[in-house]
Amino acid sequence: MLWLCIQFPRLPLQALTRAQTGPIDETPRAVAEQQLIVDANPAANQRGIECGLTIATACALSAELELLTRDTERESQLLQELAQWGYSFTPVVSPMAAGPVENGESRAACLYLELSGCLRASGGLQPLLEQLRRELEQMQITATMGLGHSPSAAHMLSQLPEHRQWLQEAKSPPTAQQWRQWISFSPSKLLDCDHKTTAKLYACGIKRVSQLLAIPLSEVGSRFGRNFVDYLARLNGSRHDPVPSYQPPPQFHSELFFPTPLDNSEQLLFPTGRLVRELCQQLQRRQLYAQQLRWKLDFGQKGCQVVSVEVSRPLLDAQRLIALTKLQFERVHLEQEVQALHLTCDQLQPLEESVLDDDLFGESSNLQRSHQLLDKLKARLGHEAMSGVTLRESHLPEQAWQSADTLILQSGRRQHGHQVKPVNAPRPSWFLQRPDPIKARENKLFYRGEIQLLQGPERIDGYWWQHHRHARDYYIARGEEGSLYWVYQDLTSAEWYLQGIYA
Amino acid sequence: MSNAENLIQNNQLDHGSRRQRINRLLARPDIWQAANEQQRPRNGITTGYPGLDALLAGNGWPRGATTELLVDQSGIGELSLLLPALAEMTQREQMVVLINPPFIPYAPALAAAGVRLEKLLILHPRGQRDQLWAMEQTLQSGCCGALLSWQGGPPPADKDLRRLQVAAREGNAMHFHFRPSSCAASPSPAALRLQLASDGEQLVLQLQKQLGGASGQRLHLARNSDLTRRDRPLH
Repeated sequence: MLWLCIQFPRLPLQALTRAQTGPIDETPRAVAEQQLIVDANPAANQRGIECGLTIATACALSAELELLTRDTERESQLLQELAQWGYSFTPVVSPMAAGPVENGESRAACLYLELSGCLRASGGLQPLLEQLRRELEQMQITATMGLGHSPSAAHMLSQLPEHRQWLQEAKSPPTAQQWRQWISFSPSKLLDCDHKTTAKLYACGIKRVSQLLAIPLSEVGSRFGRNFVDYLARLNGSRHDPVPSYQPPPQFHSELFFPTPLDNSEQLLFPTGRLVRELCQQLQRRQLYAQQLRWKLDFGQKGCQVVSVEVSRPLLDAQRLIALTKLQFERVHLEQEVQALHLTCDQLQPLEESVLDDDLFGESSNLQRSHQLLDKLKARLGHEAMSGVTLRESHLPEQAWQSADTLILQSGRRQHGHQVKPVNAPRPSWFLQRPDPIKARENKLFYRGEIQLLQGPERIDGYWWQHHRHARDYYIARGEEGSLYWVYQDLTSAEWYLQGIYA
Repeated sequence: MSNAENLIQNNQLDHGSRRQRINRLLARPDIWQAANEQQRPRNGITTGYPGLDALLAGNGWPRGATTELLVDQSGIGELSLLLPALAEMTQREQMVVLINPPFIPYAPALAAAGVRLEKLLILHPRGQRDQLWAMEQTLQSGCCGALLSWQGGPPPADKDLRRLQVAAREGNAMHFHFRPSSCAASPSPAALRLQLASDGEQLVLQLQKQLGGASGQRLHLARNSDLTRRDRPLH
């Protein structure tokens, strides 16, 4: 077993400020909970603002300090997203939420990843760790890492600076002997126990774990309790160290919160890009694809707006997804300030090999381009502006066609099975939405001048069993300027109508 | 190397690069050379009307270019003129896009003309900006065989027409742009401009402008005799 513990010491602040663009460390910022500072950025640290100070002291140290209230719900949401991210590397993942604040300090939230199963797929320990670090940096999450043979050991070692230093250059996991050395080398204050126990350890003069391990276990048990002995055994690896296993939801969800709300849809582009890239990375590693991206613009108390981007084909290209989203956002007129941006993808579909194979052939690259075009048009013009036409089996001219969803274009193949054949009579290429009445006077017909009947009639007398009987005599007629029209006389009312144009 | 040799070589280099530059200039599609008229590739898409093919420089509708059709009246056969080319495009699995058609394209008639309906896309963008955007995207995409667009509202600016022409070239698409004949007076970057009218019986084409070819000719195309034969029952 090879456990990696990734600690997120800055999560309270980063959950709130991750969405910010550019250099964020200019203004001192701090997060407060119950009148105490729980997290502060480097700019604030420089001014002497540290965890555990009261708000009053912190404000006295720096007048321009930006104070944010801790949002534990948002933190645990972010930790879930990080667990989802970790799950895309290894199937054994366990997130652990931050501990309660005690004396101005609390255990940072962390993530345990079991690495032994995914080392080979990632090209070894060093490339894997480098990738993890790089992606965390991209997400603007500060993290410290520790490697151990059990989750407890990894957690303890992640706090040991010497171990972190070693991990920067580690090429392969150390042997059992080396683990023991790392652990016994650690100062006893790094042990995961309450303050009382730590104080007791120091009172006994136990400054390093090695000293503790030298004492017989029964002795330790009588002094520090059964739980502590248990903990030591898990640390040592002599006892199984269970952690709750994480199961990812069958969907993707990520959000960015803006401490200073956005009032301009252009400003959304940067956070959009970040969320889409996170999505693509995860989908690619989990071999899934999304059919729909649902963006939620959160206006805080003033409600929210949902914008969805539909994707017709498996698409893992972040640039294209960003471009499609951008087209949608351009249509959005922001009336409220946006406080947070959510991206949700439900119904993730497994990526099948056959779907991707298409790309290898030139013929379907044409098809792919048309999918891209359709997605783009749909994103900017909207569903309602696009249509196709198909045939329908009917005697009535207005029922012999129907508006079709553009999806038929996407099948790209001829439809098999029953095919409707068009009627074998001259039909006009333009059809009017509804028949246009024609004036009839003294046995003459007028439509933009006098029109003459050239041929006919073709009687269409259908649906006599229906309430509205359609009995019509159709003719081809010529207008004064040479236009050819398709006109009919309604046999029940004797009125004349224009229904088509031979364009 | 002596100075003289150097000079000669430089001269040759200079000459070479000048020649290259001229060749590059001559290769531009909008420069027409009378001397090379016979060598020009005749890569048009056949119109389906031999008489019209003979008039057109590329032996058919120009590909990767805008064709302007100046027409005021519907019903004189303006769409039938394009149907053979559209049928061929769709049968070759290429998309045909109609932007803002004035009426509903009637499926039975199109299918009878050989157009594969599943390759036909009809767009009704809202404003002029969206319309121009959709036209440009479609032409550029490289998957669109032909784009038919109808000008509704104010005439597009010259620079927009030019952009569309460039987009058509990039995507190697045919662009047919229907405009009222009042636009004939204003210049246009289109590669081909045809004025369509009716003489009462036939469709009259007048070639207003054609890149790399002669213009001014007139052509009368008869309507389908199925339509104009008098006093005959339709079935």
